[in-house]
Amino acid sequence: MSDPEPGTYKVAEVKTAPFDARFPNTNQARYCWQGYIDFHRCTNIRGEDYEPCQYFKHVYRAMCPKSWSDMWDEQRESGTFAGRV
Amino acid sequence: MTGYQPHPWHLVEPSPWPLVGGSAAFTLTVGLVMWFHYNSISLMILGLVMIVATMIQWWRDVIREATFQGCHTSYVLSGLRRGMVLFIVSEVFFFLAFFWAFFHSSLAPTVELGVTWPPVGVHPLNAFAVPLLNTAVLLSSGVTVTWAHHALMEGKRTEAIQSLAITVMLGLYFTGLQAWEYYEAPFTIADSVYGSTFFVATGFHGLHVIIGSTFLMVCLGRQVFYHYTSSHHFGFEAAAWYWHFVDVVWLFLYVCIYWWGS
Amino acid sequence: MATPAQLGLMDAASPVMEEMIYFHDHVMLVLILITCLIFYSMLVLISSKYIYRFLTDGHVIETVWTVIPAIILVVVALPSLKLLYLTDELDNPQLTIKSVGHQWYWSYEYTDYYDIEFDSYMLPLGDLSKGDARLLEVDNRVVLPVDTSVRVLVTAADVIHSWTVPSLGLKMDAVPGRLNQLALQCSRVGTFYGQCSEICGANHSFMPIVIEAVPVEVFEGWCDMMLDEE
Repeated sequence: MSDPEPGTYKVAEVKTAPFDARFPNTNQARYCWQGYIDFHRCTNIRGEDYEPCQYFKHVYRAMCPKSWSDMWDEQRESGTFAGRV
Repeated sequence: MTGYQPHPWHLVEPSPWPLVGGSAAFTLTVGLVMWFHYNSISLMILGLVMIVATMIQWWRDVIREATFQGCHTSYVLSGLRRGMVLFIVSEVFFFLAFFWAFFHSSLAPTVELGVTWPPVGVHPLNAFAVPLLNTAVLLSSGVTVTWAHHALMEGKRTEAIQSLAITVMLGLYFTGLQAWEYYEAPFTIADSVYGSTFFVATGFHGLHVIIGSTFLMVCLGRQVFYHYTSSHHFGFEAAAWYWHFVDVVWLFLYVCIYWWGS
Repeated sequence: MATPAQLGLMDAASPVMEEMIYFHDHVMLVLILITCLIFYSMLVLISSKYIYRFLTDGHVIETVWTVIPAIILVVVALPSLKLLYLTDELDNPQLTIKSVGHQWYWSYEYTDYYDIEFDSYMLPLGDLSKGDARLLEVDNRVVLPVDTSVRVLVTAADVIHSWTVPSLGLKMDAVPGRLNQLALQCSRVGTFYGQCSEICGANHSFMPIVIEAVPVEVFEGWCDMMLDEE
């Protein structure tokens, strides 16, 4: 699930984060959060290069506003992140 | 109150207290704004003094009308009873709003809290330490206030004074314990929605305990000064209702916020 | 986009808006029938010469005018609920975009694979070209492919805003800390305008929303262009 080459953007090939039955509400904040948590847990356990982890990254990139994931990145670095990763 | 009155109702005399009380409330409101915005408390103190002065004098007048002029007929009493019941019902809904805020925040905690309750980093108070003692204290005070009521109805003057005094002391003990608990608490009102809902809900309950204790203290004084008869003592009954209401609110606070919420 | 002195709804540009217009017409029909009946009854009552002094109750007519309105309410409520849940339906989205309300502009993110991010400010009067809509044009439009199921995630960075596009039948509050999901599908090519719909401060009226629905290939070209710019 790596990014395709620039200049070849094809909507038909884009697969955004699918509907997830765990998050049926209008408020999708938990979907974004869970994707972020899952990605970092996954890479912490299996290492950065483990390909299946990329799925969670894809989910949280699609679902989280940039400002949220950037803020959480900062919080993880300073050790103040609220989630367990 | 001279001469013949062809009905059982109490038509109140012209009184300065509604106007004075309104001015006091306005002064207090502006005083609070002055405190919040300019950190100056003088107008707020003035407003508080005016409010307290109005309350003392207004209720003094009510006692004069009730106890000394005999204006509170059975019809008037029925109105007072309904009024007190409606007032307590309105207070119930007041607290319902805080419980709503609490459950809204705790049943589906947001991502900022770490999707857990209590939120990540908040260490709640131990429900089985001082809060459990507080529960025992308030429940006991509910017993003693009922004891006082029965003593009053059976004309046992000394017993009524003693049991009412115990109730007041238990109320003050509760307030003291709660103050100590606030002082010791490892979180503040600014620590996430946990701190906000906790201190707003228990704080307003504490305020109601203080109001109820004051009400009971006034009743104790009136009992000492022979204001009550074994059949006519609505002031005391209203205080007892209010005290039971405060007691029940505490039970919900204890079970939901202190126990389940920790 | 709305025209001066327009009375009806805007032309639908999405299946949901199409349904909303049908529902509006349905309710309007019921309303007009009721209004006519009531006006007719009032006219008959005030113009009638007959008077009956001893009328105190009439159980039959009271039952009738309780049961019939109840049935009418059900007839209105059922399609309304159906439409309400249809609006919530997000079927297999192809694309996710994020719309963040700020005081006082919207910013957008297309981050399914690349990071396309831009702010969308209203064009001031001096920057308008001939034929532009005053207070509605923006510097960067939201470009979207037609006939594609799009998930819009709406949130805010400061105060509550509301992201609205009437001709697509969309309106969603943008609340800080929440990530509200909308299902968007443009059924035809065009530009669709909307305005912030939650009072959010001094320039609340000056943070419009413009969607430019284009064919898929054009959208892909636009994405490549946006990526090249970075």
